[in-house]
Amino acid sequence: MNIEIATYLLYLAISIALTIWVAHTLHKNGRLFLVDVFHGNEALADSVNSLLVVGFYLINFGYVSLALKLGYKIASAQEGIEALSVKVGMVLIVLGGMHFFNLFLFSRMRRRATLRNAQPPVPPDAYTRVQEA
Amino acid sequence: MPALTLLYDPDCGLCCRAHEWLQDQPKLVELIFVPIKSDEARKRFPQLNHDITGEDLTVICDQGAVYFGPKAWLMVLWALSRYHEWSYRLASPELLPTTRRVVSMISQHRYQISRAAGLAR
Repeated sequence: MNIEIATYLLYLAISIALTIWVAHTLHKNGRLFLVDVFHGNEALADSVNSLLVVGFYLINFGYVSLALKLGYKIASAQEGIEALSVKVGMVLIVLGGMHFFNLFLFSRMRRRATLRNAQPPVPPDAYTRVQEA
Repeated sequence: MPALTLLYDPDCGLCCRAHEWLQDQPKLVELIFVPIKSDEARKRFPQLNHDITGEDLTVICDQGAVYFGPKAWLMVLWALSRYHEWSYRLASPELLPTTRRVVSMISQHRYQISRAAGLAR
């Protein structure tokens, strides 16, 4: 096994492990938000949660596989580690971006759900009889 | 779906323009427009004091809750999907005094504003 193949394999192993870890964290901690958004409907929350995680996996693995190709020759172990570091760094940044985007989605869904059920912003001034037309 | 009835001034260009604008907005709550002091307004709300409805916007919810002036404006915002959150923001204790001042000023000068903006009829 030459040094390029080793770099690629290490890159894949690290990227896949990181993606699975972040997706797992999202799946575990996002569930509470979703249960709240869907007013305790756990079945619906779990379903939406799984769908979100599938999207997350698809985008991240898509990026990992697109970014795999190095495009230049590696001569030494040092260059291999440097190339690996750049690639894994990019994967981390994409994962971080996706993670914050997911958090943004969760918080927006939750805010909307709480507002929709809230009382009107102001109390009425008076009450009157309404004659049905 | 609940509904809000708006008693608006049909003689005020600004109000009629706002009426047209409101009709195109996506709503969370249905809005019904009734001209102030009209027969329909008197028939629907027989116990309401219709003399004060000419001073500022009046909004009546289908259970009979009456909102007058700045509160009525906030209820209209509350009914619109795009401005729903703004109704809470503007009704917060920090912003409510300003909201009241601005709304009262616009309502009191609505004929002058309509004339200045070329909306008079």
